[in-house]
Amino acid sequence: MTIEEFYKEVDSVLELEPGTIKGNESLLDLSGWDSLALLSFIAMADSKLGLIIKAAALVNCKTVGDLVKVCEGRVKD
Amino acid sequence: MAGSSIPGVVIRGIASAVPERTQGLKDLPELFGGSDAGKIIEVTGVRSWHVCRPGQTASDLCLAAAETLLKNLSWDRDSVEALVFVSQTFDYVAPATSCCLQARLRLPKSCAAFDVALGCSGYVYGLWIASSLMLAGCRRVLFLAGETATRIISPVDKAAVPLFGDAGTATALEREDGHVIHFDLGTDGTGFEHLIIPAGGQRRPRSSQSAVRTPREGGNVRSDEDLYMNGPEVFTFTLREVPPLLNRILARAGWTKEQVDFFVLHQANKWMLDKLAKRLGIPAASLPIALEEFGNTVSASIPLAITHSLRGSAAQESRRLVLAGFGVGLSWGAAALELGPIVLPELEIVP
Repeated sequence: MTIEEFYKEVDSVLELEPGTIKGNESLLDLSGWDSLALLSFIAMADSKLGLIIKAAALVNCKTVGDLVKVCEGRVKD
Repeated sequence: MAGSSIPGVVIRGIASAVPERTQGLKDLPELFGGSDAGKIIEVTGVRSWHVCRPGQTASDLCLAAAETLLKNLSWDRDSVEALVFVSQTFDYVAPATSCCLQARLRLPKSCAAFDVALGCSGYVYGLWIASSLMLAGCRRVLFLAGETATRIISPVDKAAVPLFGDAGTATALEREDGHVIHFDLGTDGTGFEHLIIPAGGQRRPRSSQSAVRTPREGGNVRSDEDLYMNGPEVFTFTLREVPPLLNRILARAGWTKEQVDFFVLHQANKWMLDKLAKRLGIPAASLPIALEEFGNTVSASIPLAITHSLRGSAAQESRRLVLAGFGVGLSWGAAALELGPIVLPELEIVP
């Protein structure tokens, strides 16, 4: 998955308009980043990246960039 | 363990019971008044749930289900050789609740009775144990699975309250040649902390501190005597273990997905069931969902889904079922069996 496609997936997880996420956002500033968004992100990674995220690492993510890192190289710049 | 296939076992009937009292989000304006109740219901699939009245226990619900089942089957009580009670909400610390149930059900003194402390995987484990008892020589076994989950969650935990409900069930098994039930069971205790009531056992006895409810992650308010669920860990565990589990049980039974009439999965919540169904390629028509009026009833959720959703189906003719329970432990189990025609009495409402 390209980084642009990944940002669109994060838009979808957070129920934002496509194109909202640019990559430098802090998750704590995004009102949609709640417990259900965490689960939706896990489901997205499973279905779109074929990856079962490490939950503990995901919970510690602070930025959209951190989300890219927990995807273990499956998102290409 | 690796899988096992137990021959000579047939399920004769399943009955479910719920307490009369119900609750829904609309009844809890102080908790959910400002929230989007519609979104919560869409995610959980739970519109309302049944709640025990004070003093009412999981064994009371199982007793009602068992009485209905024995009556509908016309079983002589003296013919029941073992009673298995699966729960995590027992009547007493000691004795075993199954001993009290043996007396209340007027089962013979020759009846073996014991409790099994498991949750979401408990129905499949209980079926496996009851089936194994047939190999040990029993002819008839009564297997009860019930939970008063609403008692072990914080009543002000916004993540837990809209999910769980109370229910009790009874399943009657009999030895008969020509049948087989396939099983696949597993455990990963390294994840024991992800679904846990930390205080109240011997490791951490109750104390004045353990009972204090404070805001925790996500603003959910609970004490260490209330159930804690780490949602992301439990979901990744489910994604990691359940799809391979179902593939293994299908392989053991020699069935393809398409040859299964119903996949009756633990009724965790609708969102998770939808994700699993999509991942596994199970059509909606083959995935009974019995959450709307009951919520997640832990070990009772699989039999409750069968009695609620398959009464017009398995009661009349044989159906191929795959069952799967997964959760607290972390523990999981799946079974593949041909069910029916069997006795599936109407839901018992316990005052």
